[in-house]
Amino acid sequence: MRLSRRGLLRAGLAGTAATALGGLASGCAVPTGSTGRNMVLWYWSGGLSDTVVEKAKARYDDAVDLDAIQIGGYYRSKLITTMTGQAHVPDIAGLKGEDMASYLPNADQFVDLRTLGAEKLRSRYLDWKWEQAVAPDGSLIGFPIDVGPVVQFYQPAVYEKAGLAHEPEDVSREMGTWDRFFAAGEQLKKRVPGAFILTDVTSVFEMSIGQGTERFVNRDKHFIGDREHVRVCWDRAVEAKRRGLASSIVTGTPDAISATESGRLPSQLNASWAAGDLKLQYPRTEGRWRVANCPGGPSNIGGSFLAITKACREPEKAFEIITWLLGAENQAQGFMDAGLFPSTPASYGMRKLREPDPFFGDQITMDVLGPAAEKIPVAFNSPYDVALGQPVRDEIKNVGVLGKDPDEAWKDAMSKCRRIADHLGVSR
Amino acid sequence: MATAPLVDEPPAPAAGPPPANPRKGILSYWRLYAAISPFYLLFLAFGLIPVGFSLYLSFHRWDGLGPMEYAGLSQYRYLLSDTDFWSSIGNTLVIWALATFPMIFLAMVTAVMLNSAVRFKNVYRFAYFLPNVTSVVAVAIIFGSVFSTNFGLVNALLQAVGLDQVAWLNTPWGIKVAIATLMTWQWTGYNAIIFLAGLQTIPGELYEAARMDGAGPVQTFFRITLPLMRPVLLFVLVISTVTGLQSFSEPQVLLQSTANESTFSGGPDHAGRTMVLYFFQQTFDNNDFGYGAAVAWGIFLVVVIFSIVNWRLVQRRGED
Repeated sequence: MRLSRRGLLRAGLAGTAATALGGLASGCAVPTGSTGRNMVLWYWSGGLSDTVVEKAKARYDDAVDLDAIQIGGYYRSKLITTMTGQAHVPDIAGLKGEDMASYLPNADQFVDLRTLGAEKLRSRYLDWKWEQAVAPDGSLIGFPIDVGPVVQFYQPAVYEKAGLAHEPEDVSREMGTWDRFFAAGEQLKKRVPGAFILTDVTSVFEMSIGQGTERFVNRDKHFIGDREHVRVCWDRAVEAKRRGLASSIVTGTPDAISATESGRLPSQLNASWAAGDLKLQYPRTEGRWRVANCPGGPSNIGGSFLAITKACREPEKAFEIITWLLGAENQAQGFMDAGLFPSTPASYGMRKLREPDPFFGDQITMDVLGPAAEKIPVAFNSPYDVALGQPVRDEIKNVGVLGKDPDEAWKDAMSKCRRIADHLGVSR
Repeated sequence: MATAPLVDEPPAPAAGPPPANPRKGILSYWRLYAAISPFYLLFLAFGLIPVGFSLYLSFHRWDGLGPMEYAGLSQYRYLLSDTDFWSSIGNTLVIWALATFPMIFLAMVTAVMLNSAVRFKNVYRFAYFLPNVTSVVAVAIIFGSVFSTNFGLVNALLQAVGLDQVAWLNTPWGIKVAIATLMTWQWTGYNAIIFLAGLQTIPGELYEAARMDGAGPVQTFFRITLPLMRPVLLFVLVISTVTGLQSFSEPQVLLQSTANESTFSGGPDHAGRTMVLYFFQQTFDNNDFGYGAAVAWGIFLVVVIFSIVNWRLVQRRGED
């Protein structure tokens, strides 16, 4: 056959047109969600245990093709873009704990899990965690995956050298309040030259806010960041600065790594999942760490949820899968695989979670983490909390790092908050 | 099979005289329009429509998921009074200036050196281009180490010559210098290659003539090389203005300290918060998509002003 140039062009054009038309045709028929048989689950790397997800695929294979996709990058923006576009919306979606407040006002985009019988399971989960997924209209939009109880990771050898309590129980007791923790910090500084009990003062402010029941904006969309409960946290961080308890090291730099390894930063106030980071970053310090209660009481950082979107065709089946994925047994597996601290107290007593941990000198860390997780206070987290907390966080950083005058910093933070509140329609 | 017609067309070859009717004339070129259409369709879908939508968005309040609420000009009114936005413009310009002028100087020196006869010319060219194709994120992490206080390379050098340590990532000016150094490092090689291309277009006879007239290398550089390099210099300036005004990843990665903190805050005193970083914070941290869109248009205006300045500069050169 003779191939003319014109013929080739025409064929190419026809091919392009056919592809474009085909794309257009299928574009019109984009499914908003699943088509019955397949069920799409969105989560992120490390958001669920891969073993448990694989097991769920096999287990529900008769009913659905569970298509679990790990979404990389900025997860929330990809999820809300997809939901707003109303195309290829996943049936089941992971929701990160820190984003929860921003999903709650749009509860109508998700299936109310109460309609699927979630209330019957409520007693098996941590109460404060459950409350985080309750929207203003009372509907439940997420089912608890994990939590992040905050504890104190510390190096007992350094504490001992400073003449401080160093056994986990003693540390929990002797440094149970911020005052006593600060006193210990002063003693540490005196006895071990160059050592600091805090890396920066921002963590004091952050943990203190987490230990309270109120944050920056209340349920009535009213700014409360200028009140006593925030001021107490602020003053506490300022006091840590004034007494010189914090180092001038920036977290995450080689300086911080070296200081931590050599025992000059022997303490970290952080969530349960930071244990994984410690093990990864400081493999040489195995056995030199212990876990004790966080001064001032427990708080939470992170932890996430699974939700069923409105696009899901088979919410009952999806709910069955979710509750199986997040049962006490599988949550225990999630802790072993991915460091996801269970939101099911029944898991805490399981033998496999009560193994001595060689990294923590064979301490059974669950003895500290479990009770901490159960005692975390319920706090209302407004969708405006991030915006109105940021100026205060920025200013406490200026006090801590740049040595800005605390009174001036507080004034600056408040005037900025007032401006942002007006802009966002938050009353004050 | 390749000749099977899928659409009706006149049997006669297309080489006939053009039809009298102009509308029919345009229609008869449909194949050509179809051939250039992919770009326009893609531009429409991923360029024009999002741009138009962001303009629409900037007149609304929207959390990204729920219903939109008309807000009139209030987002823009807030933008004008937003000191954070103005300070982010200032940061961007300072960082841009700190990065661009040393970069142009170094790139020019490098290009002149590469242009003179050296061995392994291609090896050098490759090596100088490498920083530009390295991931900004990886580079920023390395620079975070280089500028760390106790164990950073920079402070080690300072101490070697008897100077004091500087807490680079903990002081407002240190942060700006660190970001600017990162950008300089990344763009010097790229611009040196462009300068080199410019240098090679300068005819050798001019240099010969200069040498005959007794001009030294310095005089040759300032009297011949530099004037003839003006268009290239301006091109480089324009390109670095465009990239410099959009700096985002550099401060974001360099200054993210812990997982518990916003990655868009720009460090102590917001010293490293550039315009685009501020846009990200408003949009994605605060979920304020309407205001984010207004900030984006504010950035657009700043870029337009700079483009006009650049354009004026080019125009004036052209009149010379």
